[in-house]
Amino acid sequence: MQLWLGFAVLALVFWGITGVTQKLSTNAISSERSFLWFCWAMVALSAVVLLVARPHAGLATIVVVSSIAGGALNGLGAWTSFRALESGGKASIVISLISLYPLLTVLLAVIFLGERLTWLQTAGACLAIAAAILLSLEGPPKEA
Amino acid sequence: MTTTETPSTPTKSRLPAAWLLWSLATIVLWGTWGLVSKVASDGVDAYVNQLLYTVGLAPLMAFVGWTVWKRSPKESPTARKRGVFWAFLTGILGGLGNLAFFEALVKGGKASIVAPVTALFPMVTVLLAMIFLKERLGRVQWIGLALAFVAIYLLSM
Repeated sequence: MQLWLGFAVLALVFWGITGVTQKLSTNAISSERSFLWFCWAMVALSAVVLLVARPHAGLATIVVVSSIAGGALNGLGAWTSFRALESGGKASIVISLISLYPLLTVLLAVIFLGERLTWLQTAGACLAIAAAILLSLEGPPKEA
Repeated sequence: MTTTETPSTPTKSRLPAAWLLWSLATIVLWGTWGLVSKVASDGVDAYVNQLLYTVGLAPLMAFVGWTVWKRSPKESPTARKRGVFWAFLTGILGGLGNLAFFEALVKGGKASIVAPVTALFPMVTVLLAMIFLKERLGRVQWIGLALAFVAIYLLSM
């Protein structure tokens, strides 16, 4: 397995666990308060990260701006997803629709970064998006 | 915005539903995040990327903090303690996921492949929900799970 794939799968596992912990959190408190404490945890983690890594001078502006923009875009995306759910959208439809976001990343990466996918990888990307949508649909009710 | 109009309502808004607009905004924001993360990963390591990411999160955090303070929903102290614990854990795990995501990009993963692979995280969620929350998987979700494994295999080629 390529190293990058191993890390991508690791990210998938961590984020997958957050799907459960986030649900346990919003079962008890509002999504806004939950999001706020999610952010505080990010700050705490960054404080620990600061012990092992320090941003050095001479970073390219585009890199710094992209990185900071990443936090803003991802955070805002989480916030707009909460708003979508609170605005009356059915969870199964909203989450399935939102699952289409990698499609945009693929498109932007092809256009702006000149990335090219093989036919098999293109099929894989399409299957991944279809799988994410199917997985987001609500399952049958819990057994009593 | 929920529409509670009856079928006999003579005029119907031509504006798209608010939930649809918020959903589309989410796609644009998260879709673009994948792109900028790759651009950033070409110049910084995963740790510095996570630090700068948190800087980008700060203004939104201030805004959400203000709305929480203004609206302050009534929650019992026990529920609040429990909810905050899980939210904090979500943030730690989410941040670790970010580090792994950035590292995948630093190690040469293309944004156009890493984004679809990591977007498969609901496969872990549904499996854990089945084991720990006793939720049942429908046929559609089992198909989704199978497709997810095939997708990862194809994307790794």
